[in-house]
Amino acid sequence: MSLLLNIAVDGVAYGMILFMIAVGLSVTMGLMRVVNLAHGGFAMIGGALAHWLLQDLGFGFWLAVPLAVAGTVALALPLERLIYRRIYDFGELQQVLATIGLTFLMIASVNLWQGSSLLSIPLPSALSQPVDLGFRTLPFHRIFVIALGLAVIIGLWWLIDRTRFGIKLRAAVDNRATASSIGIDTGKIYMASFGIGAGLAAIGGIFGAELLPIDAYYPLRYMVLFLIVVAIGGMGSIPGSFAAALGIGLTETAARYLVPDIATIAFFALVIALLALRPQGLMGRA
Amino acid sequence: MGRFVPLILLAVAVGLYFLLPYNLAFLTRILIMVLLVLSLDLVLGYAGIATLGQAAMYGAGAYAAGLFAIHVWADPLAGLVAGAVAGAILALVSGLVILRAQGLTVIMLTIAVAQICAEIANRARDITGGADGLRGIRMDPVLGLFEFDFVGQVGYWYALIVVAVIFCFLMVLGRSSFGLSLRGIHESPARMGAIGVSVYWRRVAAYTIGGAIAGIAGALTAQITQLVSLETFAFVLSAEALIMLILGGTGRLYGAAIGTFVFMWAHHTAASNDPFNWLFVIGAMVLAVVFLLPKGLISMPAALTQIFKGGRDAGT
Amino acid sequence: MSLKQGAALALAIATCVTGAAWADTIKVGVIASFSGPFAQYGTQYRQAIEAYQAQHGKTAGEHEIEFIYKDVGGTNPDQARALAQELLIRDRVDYLAGFTFTPNALAVASMATQSETPTVIFNAATSAINKDSEFFLRTSYTLWQVSVPLAEWAYDQGIRTVATTVTDYGPGIDAENAFREAFEAKGGEVIDEIRMPLSTTDFTPFIQRVRDQKPDAVFAFLPGGPPTFTFTKTYNENGLKAEGIRFLGTAETEEVNLQGLGDAAIGLTTAYHYSGAHDSDANRAFLAKLNELDPKAIANWASVGAYDGVHLIYQMVAAAGSDGPAAVEAVKSLEWESPRGPLKMDPETRTVIQNVYIREVERNPDTNLLQNTEKGIIATVGDLGWDK
Repeated sequence: MSLLLNIAVDGVAYGMILFMIAVGLSVTMGLMRVVNLAHGGFAMIGGALAHWLLQDLGFGFWLAVPLAVAGTVALALPLERLIYRRIYDFGELQQVLATIGLTFLMIASVNLWQGSSLLSIPLPSALSQPVDLGFRTLPFHRIFVIALGLAVIIGLWWLIDRTRFGIKLRAAVDNRATASSIGIDTGKIYMASFGIGAGLAAIGGIFGAELLPIDAYYPLRYMVLFLIVVAIGGMGSIPGSFAAALGIGLTETAARYLVPDIATIAFFALVIALLALRPQGLMGRA
Repeated sequence: MGRFVPLILLAVAVGLYFLLPYNLAFLTRILIMVLLVLSLDLVLGYAGIATLGQAAMYGAGAYAAGLFAIHVWADPLAGLVAGAVAGAILALVSGLVILRAQGLTVIMLTIAVAQICAEIANRARDITGGADGLRGIRMDPVLGLFEFDFVGQVGYWYALIVVAVIFCFLMVLGRSSFGLSLRGIHESPARMGAIGVSVYWRRVAAYTIGGAIAGIAGALTAQITQLVSLETFAFVLSAEALIMLILGGTGRLYGAAIGTFVFMWAHHTAASNDPFNWLFVIGAMVLAVVFLLPKGLISMPAALTQIFKGGRDAGT
Repeated sequence: MSLKQGAALALAIATCVTGAAWADTIKVGVIASFSGPFAQYGTQYRQAIEAYQAQHGKTAGEHEIEFIYKDVGGTNPDQARALAQELLIRDRVDYLAGFTFTPNALAVASMATQSETPTVIFNAATSAINKDSEFFLRTSYTLWQVSVPLAEWAYDQGIRTVATTVTDYGPGIDAENAFREAFEAKGGEVIDEIRMPLSTTDFTPFIQRVRDQKPDAVFAFLPGGPPTFTFTKTYNENGLKAEGIRFLGTAETEEVNLQGLGDAAIGLTTAYHYSGAHDSDANRAFLAKLNELDPKAIANWASVGAYDGVHLIYQMVAAAGSDGPAAVEAVKSLEWESPRGPLKMDPETRTVIQNVYIREVERNPDTNLLQNTEKGIIATVGDLGWDK
């Protein structure tokens, strides 16, 4: 019984981190049809900025985090204008090449700026306290991350389902040409969505750093992990990403509890089985 | 004009041997990489299968050739056959599943296969040496005559001849009815399906042949380095091969050769000048090619012609 | 063409081109990771090499010494071999150095032997490497060297049951075997042996499993960088310390990432050959020079491995110039005072014999930084894994 609870708690916390980082990737891949391999780079930039504000400039945690996220968005928007906008119409392979090139530049820049060691983001003591759950203790950070993940999915649902922006966004996703012909500025919609995706990646990068520590090589190290979330969830589907991230978090965690020796093989075998059965992902668009 | 390019490339490869006698090991690495990228061109450029897991077959070939040399027979050519068989079998078995899917799903499935292979090789450390690498590969002389030497002269010619033979094979294959049907599938799977071609089985066949070639590339690296590491299955290797192919241009074979050469040469030069920050150069180069030459380096002559003629849309 | 003829030819070509102008400069090729996931190691090496040169000058004997850095990326034996060949043939280096990963070192073994090039390994910690070439010398440590004394010390401290948690790859298994063998020989019991996949990002499941079994201590070995960092954090945050399950590690509290572990790291026990807080003049001088050259530089095991490696190279050059076999012979039993403490080369294994210290993480009241405070020497040992 306590084993099941352990798996649930750890798996959900891990899944939420994956969700926050990967949801932006899913949106850009589904909406703009861009294979954006540089997405993890925004998580890294968020983390590196947070590290810099906290460690080098001595800001407080709750001030540094919003600033780091804002800084990441401020970097992402011009990048969308300068680079991404030009590759929307390219073939997939050119997009892969362009975003990989961009990833290399991000890695090289952070390496030059902050070096290649791990960039720690010390949590305030409120977040690092262990909390007694009765059957075990859990760092409060994990509970916070679960709450944050829920807040993100609710916020996204509200944004897309309940606001004018959301209506335009959905129209642009369904049919770009029609959307622009009825007067929706798809360029702005794309830019805003891209910014939101990058901002979420930054949040995920910062709060996920407890499990996926930030360093210059981050975007390549975890690229496969993020892509798997999107592929399983289905491109462009926010609920799909959510389900996939939680599913992956739980599966990986369960495998580590139950069959640590073959956890990696079991995990990828499951990924293959799932994708072979549902090639469009859990909730992908055909 | 494409007809003469392979001959020019061959001449360049022979010329480099005399121009850069101290860099034969590096040049040999380029040749082996060309072979891997050629296999990717068959799979991606001809058959239209997007993959980020070609290293799976490369690694399988490397381990197969290494183990074959240690336990069975240290003849290099027999080792190449062992590598090819291992690569082909892995590609066939995994391709049967992978090729039922499309797009991003195919990419993810190929990645997953490579990761599983790496983990199996890591866990079977009694056989493979695990993270320490597979040691003790000592090759017999090629054809019983040419012993692998310290400077890498034999290794270079050996790899060059293997690459040239495979290149010719792929040229012939591309013009055969099988090759033409692959191109047809790439352009319009539905139409080819409608005229009675089994799209699925042709793709499986192309993936298997590509796997065999990647296996040969892996076998070459095992024989020349005399050590096989888990990194032969690495995602980064698959990704780099893909970058080199797109950089050069897909579907033309010589695009694969040019892209590999340019990428590795740029890497080598940049890393020699600044081992710490060379990634800037590679990143900028990759981005520049995407924006200036969207069809890859092989489109450069056409793009230049356009510019000189005053064409304004050279990029589109 | 035979191997020997090939080498002779290469040498002949190289001599013609480079000429005699460089005869009094001895070149050392450093093959290490300066980019990619392990770029930190290369940075540590370079900083240490530059510190040594700043302290001891750029000449040894009558020879000027020049270092050439080559980036191998990560574990990449093909690249390591190609770089070694380029260094030997084109750049005409007389010494090779670096090598963070075992496969990279193994890939150049035959070249080092054929060209009679002394090759100083700054890190790669698998015992058997040095058997592959007579010209391999190692200034780091081996996994047996630190794991065995730790196991024996733990038993002497009254620890009777241990759960081992290692990453499921060669070095991890090595560490697990070393610890278990020594601990059981003493009479202790290893109640669980957990092997964690290389790709693990969340270590909570393994930490929970240890917690449920309530051993006296948990022994850990993971590859450096993110896995080590996350594992140690996870141990700290899940209340194992409060339950009385002690942490027994080796490189887990290494200095570069130590501050990032925060206060929770205080009290972690490790057995290791180098602490940045080692109390000696040699270490203080080393640290001062390191920080003078780069105020952000932090010394750890990689730095000291490279620093002592350079010392070995200087001694070889001073004694034998570019004569490889004579150079190796000259330092086979060398003794010197390193920043980590007294060192001695073992002529049989060509790995250093050194002190293994028991250390505890404390906050230094003067600098307010975390450090590995040495609580004592637990053993002076050579490579205990040589005959395994």
